[in-house]
Amino acid sequence: MASLGEENLPGTLAFMELAIQQAKLALDSLEVPVGCVIVEDGKLIATGRNRTTETRNATRHAEMEAIDVLLEQWQKNGLSKLEVAEIFSKCSLYVTCEPCIMCAASLSILGIKEVYYGCANDKFGGCGSILSLHSSSSKLLTSGTPLVKGFKCTGGIMATEAVSLLQRFYEQGNPNAPKPHRQPGQQVLH
Amino acid sequence: MERAKWEIIHIPEKPPVSPTHQPTVDVLASVIDPKLANTLVRRLNQIAPLENFRHVKRIQKKHMQGGKTQLAIILCLASENENPLDGIPNDVLELINSYQLSAFITKVCKYAALSKEEWEEQCKLWPTSYHPPTYNIEGIAGFSEEDSQSVFSFMKSAVKLAKSDDGQVVNAAVIVDPLVKQIIVSACDEICSWHTPMDKTSVEASCLEQPDIATSQGVVNGVVSHETLLSKGPPDEPKQLYTGVSCLYPWRWAEHQSHASSYWHPLRHAAVVAIEYSAARDRRLFPGLGQIGNQSNQLDHTLSASISSQAKRQKTNLKKVEDVEKLDAHCNGFHSDAARPYLCTGYDIYLVWEPCAMCAMALVHQRIRRIFYAFPNPNAGALGSVHRLQGEKSLNHHYAVFRVSLPEEILDGGDHHFDIHINLTGLYTKTLAYDESENDDKKG
Repeated sequence: MASLGEENLPGTLAFMELAIQQAKLALDSLEVPVGCVIVEDGKLIATGRNRTTETRNATRHAEMEAIDVLLEQWQKNGLSKLEVAEIFSKCSLYVTCEPCIMCAASLSILGIKEVYYGCANDKFGGCGSILSLHSSSSKLLTSGTPLVKGFKCTGGIMATEAVSLLQRFYEQGNPNAPKPHRQPGQQVLH
Repeated sequence: MERAKWEIIHIPEKPPVSPTHQPTVDVLASVIDPKLANTLVRRLNQIAPLENFRHVKRIQKKHMQGGKTQLAIILCLASENENPLDGIPNDVLELINSYQLSAFITKVCKYAALSKEEWEEQCKLWPTSYHPPTYNIEGIAGFSEEDSQSVFSFMKSAVKLAKSDDGQVVNAAVIVDPLVKQIIVSACDEICSWHTPMDKTSVEASCLEQPDIATSQGVVNGVVSHETLLSKGPPDEPKQLYTGVSCLYPWRWAEHQSHASSYWHPLRHAAVVAIEYSAARDRRLFPGLGQIGNQSNQLDHTLSASISSQAKRQKTNLKKVEDVEKLDAHCNGFHSDAARPYLCTGYDIYLVWEPCAMCAMALVHQRIRRIFYAFPNPNAGALGSVHRLQGEKSLNHHYAVFRVSLPEEILDGGDHHFDIHINLTGLYTKTLAYDESENDDKKG
């Protein structure tokens, strides 16, 4: 994982702040508070936040939402696949939580340039915590085309804010969640 | 190539190793006076607990010649450095000195045995305990003839879908409720063509009315999908490249041409599309009951140690999740809610090709119970070929994975292959022991 040495720190923090705002929107909708923004050449082009509860589709993570906005918009504008691939290779993602294995794989498939994330994702992280899909080196496929793509990845940006949002969600954000540990059967310890 | 017969093979959570080649670690041990055994075990469990080696017994009892027994005890793990005596904790050193023990290095098996065969081999090195898996997903211990036929029949549906009308082969996914043996939704790769972008209502409508017919066919154009390899690979290698199969070539989406008029999406692999259809079906059949979805979607972003205890409490098995749903139904006063699926809990998915990491993780998120795939994916497969998500202990959900081995020719010709092979099938089910991480938690 790269460190934040010569990076444009104020710019990075500003975009992460926007991602946090997306996470707060998710929290307000009783969704897991994770948010993201996608930036092309220093310009914000898409936002996304988690919608797994609303859609009942557990794959609707913030990253997927933002990616879908872009794909729809670019195709409406008549861009070809190659043009879309070209733009993705110039895009940076700022997300409050390390992309999970599914999202990291998706970002690699799209060929995104770089990812900045807030807190690490100890259980599902695909950028170093569980798998390291961002660091896949170019692999030759049978046809000789080098196509497994990695991306630059920097973690720990405004991690405290990201974690505190998640804690707020678990502590008070979910009055309807059942409490499995209170079930009678659960009290029998094996 | 030998004509393969239909068979169901369990793909376990770790690559199968020969029982005689299990990984080991070095420990520091010493022969002890049997009278001291209790004292030493108690003391050592305090000062040098074998935390990640709960399967390893502290004491080894050897029967010597002349009916005598000899006890040896594990003092601590040996350092991996050049000098294995480095890094012995001071408390253990004191113990060695005060009881005049003479330490030696020996090997113990690193992982708990998954089968009786493994356990018997382990005990030749140093005794371990063996707990046959109590957590069982149906099928791991084998399939009945009826269940096998049902598995083959659903896989047959998936293979049919994979052969799209214009002769292109894509990946296909069929989500099934095994209790009632019914197809919930089915889908194909849609990376090149996607009929109804962002138009979720029409998708919902179509996927319910005719659940056993493809809701939408991926149209793959301008791709050489039947490229034949010149050299003959090993028998397990596919003879063709199947470049239209998204999970086999996830990174090549930009090379595919598509209709100027249709939308495309590089991430709409069959499994992802099927999950979307099943979520749409849920919303349509059970409108206005959104809150239930909170209960463990939230876990999929769980991160820090401070909140992981909550995740553990919510770790439930299938039975408990069902109970939770019933409870919830009562609370809300919606009795029909008891029938509502929670994500894909309890459902199986049939895929023609082993899924890539994106799809395999999507299926973890959506709580699929079992995955059946027909062909391995050496390029990007995440269920044993390149990654092995079913063995990633940290994930909050674990599905069982099976390969349904079938003849590759089934993808070329007409449907007559099905009849021949299904009738010839000697219902042979291989199984390998399976361990579930939940077991470990209970010991803790």
